[in-house]
Amino acid sequence: MIVNYNWLKEYVGAALPKAAEVDRLLTEHAFEIEEVTEVKVNAEGREGALGQAGETVIDVDVLPNRASDCLCHRGIARELATILDVQLEKDPLADEPSLTQTDKITVNIADTNACPRFTASLLTGIEVKESPDWLKTRLESLGQRSINNVVDATNYVMYAMGQPLHAYDADLFPQVDGTWQFGVRYGNEGEVVEILPEGGSDEPRRVECVGTELLIVDESSNTPIGLAGVKGGNYAGVHAGTTNIIIEAAHFHPTITRKTARRLGIVIDASKRFENECSRELPPYGQFEIIELIKQIAGGEYEGTLDAYPEKQTATAVEVRLSKVNALLGLELTLEEIKSIIVRTGSEVVDKMNAEGREGALGQKDAETLTCTGPWERTDLLIEEDFIEEVGRLYGLLNIVSVTPDADMAAAVNVRQYYSEQVRQTLLAAGFSEVITSSFQKKDIIQLRNALASDKSYVRSTLTINMHQVLDANFSHTDLLGIRSVQAFEIGTVFSKVNAEGREGALGCKTETEVGEHLSLAIGVRQKGNGYTPKDDAPLQAAIADLQDSLGVDLEFTIEKGVAEIDLSAVVATLPVPDAYTPMVERTAATYTPTSSYPAMARDIALWVSEGTSAGEVINALRTPAGDLCVRIDLFDEFTKDGRTSFAFRLVFQSQSKTLTDAEVGEVMDAVNATVEEQGWEVR
Amino acid sequence: MKTTPGHQHPLTQMIDEINHIFAEIGFTFAEGPEAETEHYNFDQLNVPKDHPSRDMQDTFWFKDKDVSEPSVLRTHTSPVQARFMESHGAPCKIIVPGKVFRNETTDATHEAQFYQLEGLHVGEGIHLGHLKGTLEHFFSKFFSGKTEVRFRPSFFPFVEPGVEVDMRLLEGDSKLAGKWIEVMGAGMVHPNLFKAAGIDSEKYSGYAFGMGIDRLGVMKFGIEDVRDLYTGDLRFVNQF
Repeated sequence: MIVNYNWLKEYVGAALPKAAEVDRLLTEHAFEIEEVTEVKVNAEGREGALGQAGETVIDVDVLPNRASDCLCHRGIARELATILDVQLEKDPLADEPSLTQTDKITVNIADTNACPRFTASLLTGIEVKESPDWLKTRLESLGQRSINNVVDATNYVMYAMGQPLHAYDADLFPQVDGTWQFGVRYGNEGEVVEILPEGGSDEPRRVECVGTELLIVDESSNTPIGLAGVKGGNYAGVHAGTTNIIIEAAHFHPTITRKTARRLGIVIDASKRFENECSRELPPYGQFEIIELIKQIAGGEYEGTLDAYPEKQTATAVEVRLSKVNALLGLELTLEEIKSIIVRTGSEVVDKMNAEGREGALGQKDAETLTCTGPWERTDLLIEEDFIEEVGRLYGLLNIVSVTPDADMAAAVNVRQYYSEQVRQTLLAAGFSEVITSSFQKKDIIQLRNALASDKSYVRSTLTINMHQVLDANFSHTDLLGIRSVQAFEIGTVFSKVNAEGREGALGCKTETEVGEHLSLAIGVRQKGNGYTPKDDAPLQAAIADLQDSLGVDLEFTIEKGVAEIDLSAVVATLPVPDAYTPMVERTAATYTPTSSYPAMARDIALWVSEGTSAGEVINALRTPAGDLCVRIDLFDEFTKDGRTSFAFRLVFQSQSKTLTDAEVGEVMDAVNATVEEQGWEVR
Repeated sequence: MKTTPGHQHPLTQMIDEINHIFAEIGFTFAEGPEAETEHYNFDQLNVPKDHPSRDMQDTFWFKDKDVSEPSVLRTHTSPVQARFMESHGAPCKIIVPGKVFRNETTDATHEAQFYQLEGLHVGEGIHLGHLKGTLEHFFSKFFSGKTEVRFRPSFFPFVEPGVEVDMRLLEGDSKLAGKWIEVMGAGMVHPNLFKAAGIDSEKYSGYAFGMGIDRLGVMKFGIEDVRDLYTGDLRFVNQF
């Protein structure tokens, strides 16, 4: 929600601190602030209402539970006044508006649960024209385009107070028996509603109803004229020559609004507000505000308002106990402190003891209880914990004091974690590295209803497929990794169809009614670049033997072309439950550098040194001439003969910024060879 | 030639460390299914159908023909809270490290799958101060230096009050030192969750927290792209 600082100031008054302080106060006590920016709205050289070239706007991340009252300037201003402990200088919600009743407009509401309130006002003799500069400035500062004074007024009131409104040309809206007849009903299956154009199109969008959407209709002809709460249409649209208007402000059921909006992919400022259930008390306040504004910027006469509100909603009174407030927040506030904070929110607070008027007759418990009723626009204050949250954040969450944790309960050992870690340490010691791969597959047994992409639309039933890919993809990096073969493992969840008892049956069997899952272990070995060779099985068998020794059970792996997989959950189920975790293995602090996306290039060098010269000494000497492009030097062969030792090293080169050429690497190798000569070693 | 040991994936290294830190102060490592019912993933967590709070999480759904009740790839580890409270009652003290899924466009800070760490502590007299102390203890150990925590107002359907948690490492030469960093959401367990689990909310209270383990890895190791965690690329893994 983007709010304009000057607009907030109009409500809060002189007590409003500078924007940076507003940022801090809202962040600490209410909402996160995305950013505070200056926007230029006077590109055409217009003078703004405040005579300034730029407007300060604040992007407030209104929390979902406050979207009912804070998706508007008045809401944010009220929040600031509460935090600052001041009264709003101007509050459009302060006094219940007195609207003149009219019988020239009627409404027939089919389901008052779906539309609990419907109001419509008639104004005559207005003039549609450009909006005044101050109004343009305000709307433009929020990123809204000015259209004309009437449409701008509806938008202005929505951003001011959170009430969406819609204006109709009363002369284009048929009158029957001297009345304008509205209706609110569900759409019929297959019925078509035309709503305002979308996505740059000039044509209205035609929406076909499925029967769950609420419609506003012209009751006289039963013609749908808008999707209630979601989007209006062009029916009886306001145009340059309009002189008489009807303005609608209603309350629609949030779930019905949301369902229709989601189905049609519509998220607009109005639908967002209806979805979040503003108070049912709001529509007449919106009417009062817009009537005053239209009279001011478009002239004309206010004729009266229809207000259909069959079942008035009553506010919830909540008992808030001193003991509970302090118990959840970990504070030691007094009843008076709590009371004054809750009063600041605009809530009515009744001291239970005083209410009964019989001091002493009530127990201590009652003496420490407040009966709190939130202000009517706060539809979120429904339970004791809601008020406790208000106390916590307004008193200041920064004041919460840490309690040092203790082992008041003993941790039970998680066998899957215990044995998974044991498997990991065993395989790591055997030279296998651990990978974690995607749970999604291009093709498998269980397909998701709504996948990210066609190659990720199934969940995996096996780790083997991914392990083959890991082996293939990593083999080309063996030089860079300083390894001769790729050895990897993964422990992860796989999914399959199971019957109601969780057992896997034959595929396609009708008794499989559930998605089952278990932890799987896959181990893979690849020694040759062109794929699996039977030689890969030996290290795989050795690793399995290590695991059997470590776990003390026989393991029946499925082995397929250098990849072995087993149901680890089933294995763990047969193992004893340990009393405690083994101490954590020592790990060296790792820092990570991003992998270069450019190819690596390897060069081998074999040389004679005198016996007694270590490989480490040689590597150290070669580092300098090899330079920064050399990312690793690995010894891969050595033997001693006649008082001399032969070492063979592989030097791997890679740049972070380009593909290296043979010539560049050749130059480095010349320098390496020169060093070898200087040292009195002999290149073989 | 002597076998060169392999490299452990940074996520499981972190989970092992997290488990050891929390086990010392009495937290049990709990777990639940990755294919979760709508009931536990949403309904029992006070996230009703067609409620705007469901917008906070884009969800992968299983097809109706594959499941007997509506099911999802869990969008968070929080359903384990509901399951554990229901099966074990109060008091309880658990952490839930586990894989979760979001149907979102991926980038350097978002993956469709990632790991989350959930925490839940229910007991008599548990309050926000316990949450703060526990998190400070954890971060100080995990980031090897004294760390402080602060709360800001927030909203999650399963807690009330809800808080956003920032941390600041006070010591060391790590890039993190001295800066407030937003790390997770938390709060006091919503009474509706207690009710659903059959726990007396007059006798017991509790806190819950949830954070991304991938993000802890970004902070701890300087990982620049969380997607690297799931590529199976040993050029990445072998640096750890």
